[in-house]
Amino acid sequence: MEENQQKTERADKTFSQKFEVAYNKYYKLALIIPILILIASLFYLCSFSVKHGDLINKDITLTGGTSIQVESKADINELQKTLEAKFEEISIRQISNVITGEQVAFIIETSASSEEVIPVLEDYLGIKLTSENSTIEFTGPSLSDSFYNQLKFAILLSFIFMAIVVFLIFRSFAPSMAVIFSAFADIVVSIAIVDLLGIKLSTAGIVSFLMLIGYSVDTDILLTARVLKRREGEINTRIFDAFKTGITMTLTSLAVVIIGLFLTSSFSKVFSQVFTILAIGLVIDIMNTWCTNASFLKWYIGWRKK
Amino acid sequence: MKIKLSWRIWLFFIVIALAILSIFGFPPTFLEKGVLVREVAANSTAYQQGLTSGQIIKEINGQTINSVEDYSNAINSIFTLPNESIKLSITTKTGSYVFFTEQIPEIVVSEIPKTKIQTGLDLRGGARAIIKPEITLSEDEMDVLKSMIENRLNVYGITDLSVKIISDLAGEKFLLIEIAGTTPSELNKLIAEQGKFEAKIGNETVFIGGNQDIEYVCRNDANCARIESCTTTDSGDYCSYSFEIRLSEEAAKRHANITKDLGLNITAGGGRYLDKTIDFYVDDKLATSLMISENLKGRETTQVQIQGSGSGTDRKSAIEDSEQSMKRLQTILLTGSLPYKLEIVKLDTISPMLGKDFNKLILLTGLVSLLAVAIIIFAKYRNIKASALIMFTSTSEIIIILGIAALIKWNLDLPSIAGILVAIGTGVDDQIVIVDESSSQIQTSIREKIKSALFIVVAAFLTTFVSLLPLYWAGAGLLQGFAFTTMIGLTIGVLISRPAFADMIRIIKEKNAT
Repeated sequence: MEENQQKTERADKTFSQKFEVAYNKYYKLALIIPILILIASLFYLCSFSVKHGDLINKDITLTGGTSIQVESKADINELQKTLEAKFEEISIRQISNVITGEQVAFIIETSASSEEVIPVLEDYLGIKLTSENSTIEFTGPSLSDSFYNQLKFAILLSFIFMAIVVFLIFRSFAPSMAVIFSAFADIVVSIAIVDLLGIKLSTAGIVSFLMLIGYSVDTDILLTARVLKRREGEINTRIFDAFKTGITMTLTSLAVVIIGLFLTSSFSKVFSQVFTILAIGLVIDIMNTWCTNASFLKWYIGWRKK
Repeated sequence: MKIKLSWRIWLFFIVIALAILSIFGFPPTFLEKGVLVREVAANSTAYQQGLTSGQIIKEINGQTINSVEDYSNAINSIFTLPNESIKLSITTKTGSYVFFTEQIPEIVVSEIPKTKIQTGLDLRGGARAIIKPEITLSEDEMDVLKSMIENRLNVYGITDLSVKIISDLAGEKFLLIEIAGTTPSELNKLIAEQGKFEAKIGNETVFIGGNQDIEYVCRNDANCARIESCTTTDSGDYCSYSFEIRLSEEAAKRHANITKDLGLNITAGGGRYLDKTIDFYVDDKLATSLMISENLKGRETTQVQIQGSGSGTDRKSAIEDSEQSMKRLQTILLTGSLPYKLEIVKLDTISPMLGKDFNKLILLTGLVSLLAVAIIIFAKYRNIKASALIMFTSTSEIIIILGIAALIKWNLDLPSIAGILVAIGTGVDDQIVIVDESSSQIQTSIREKIKSALFIVVAAFLTTFVSLLPLYWAGAGLLQGFAFTTMIGLTIGVLISRPAFADMIRIIKEKNAT
């Protein structure tokens, strides 16, 4: 038994030693891959905004329109045909019970106002829509426009505030820039992926990017604090130690986000979008923290020693 | 060895205890028996006797009331005969009210909520509207508008409502109206319509809505306000209604002056009417025209009949539509016109059904997530104590956040719940940092290790906190719930539970070391 254990320990050691040798040799390469992805994302976003006139696809909460959820069953395809004949932009989605999979309600989204849609829908369904059997949300175009502009402004402000605090905490230009750059890359790459997946963003979706700022900076701060503030241990040990902690943090967050996504996706568009964006962002953050930021710090410490 | 708890740990425990008290009340509300009064119609006998919303009814005429069912059974057994004056004795937790009444008291009751946590509209059902005046108003003008709209909705019969002035990052001001429970289908007209009522003969105005010209509007009395008749046509059902109003002397004089010079018109059926009609305009749109009978010519009449109609796909909905339309017309006649034109920029009516299913789902999501986190933590540390401590601290944090929400009567809506989730997620992350840092192989004291862990925790807190700040104002305050609960959660974490957790970990480590 004991012998076996010693053997595996030895094997572990040689593996981590090998890894360390490889890491010392190739860490600058690890810096290049995320940067290439960032550049590709920036290019994609540029061409996207030229093509669509904006950085993202917006849903009715940001363009104005009506969403009607009716708590009853209906043939969705048939309804779609009927409504398409009368309104320009219309989409219908079914909501089902998470456990039984049975249809419990359906949601109609359209850019038309609630006053235009409701009579047509009531006619088709043969029932009067009341606050008991339906949920109707109407957002006027003027409000949704101002929502969008303000949220964009809020994200910019958040980013600036975060950057200032990071500078104040570390009081060191290059490492602080690395943290900020990593958060920036997280957001840019996540937006590119969201666009690529064809997701139409809602107000809540944009707010999730703001949440991402908080989540992504956490692991970067952990890493930077461990590498800069600790005096003991090799730089690699410090990075690996931080990695072990950071990856546990990200994994627990990811677990919660994925469970949330799974349970709420059939039910709430708001929550499923928030969870999707956070999941994307957290995965991207693993790359940006442990490749970009870590490699940069290693390189910076090496440069400072010289 | 005896374990000595630090003051930070004691503080943490005390805050948890206070939070539990705040959530359930003392004595706990779930032990309370009776029904909660939600609404009492203003000017009803019960209201005049001093019964108000928020009181808890325990007994009615000697019958013990433990549930809403008991309440309706008691009321039904008391009011068996119509139009009979009955002595009603209502005993509440604080006192008793005895009065005579012919009608079933206009009281809305509900079960006593089990906790003091208030849920938002998106979980409870109700309506939310954001309206914007067409022109930019000063703060005082907004205040006036706010109270006028409150008054209008109250007169209409909606009492469980809140009207707030909100402004956004761009400095634009809005009115946010939130109404709990069932909402009238005419809500959009009721709040956005300026409600300018004018009665004209030819081009001359006889009277307008508001208390200047109108002294009394008959409502809720079938003798002078009722649905007159209904007809069925190919395109649906129509009903007409009428109600009486009493004009001021001045308006009656105007009526006499205008009608005295009018000519006579005899209809084919032999009816004798004046040659001009009296036209009712609502917001400059003609609503109804009525013929004026000959005997009113030149008379200072104060009694005026107002008529209108409603429609629907069947008889029942036509009657409902007429009733609502009558109520709305009565409301604007009483309250008068709003001083500004308004635009509805957001209008949500949320079914209570949605919330019921959601509550279960959120609870399920919360439990499964906690379990998943527990598994990951245990898989990493293989240490029951540390893992259990993390789970305990996170659960306590949820309790503390809910306690604060209950204390300040914050309405927990979906964004707020998302906020709690984020705060708890960050909390778990921070605790992982503390555990890892304190178990590191570096040769320093445990206190030093904890200190460096708390540095990371505080740094992470500051960045997240400031990045959430702008959200508090963006989006006309609709995302305040999210920003607020997250910031509260993070602050409690960094001030109370993280230091306590760090101390607990230190104690465990020190105990293990000895």
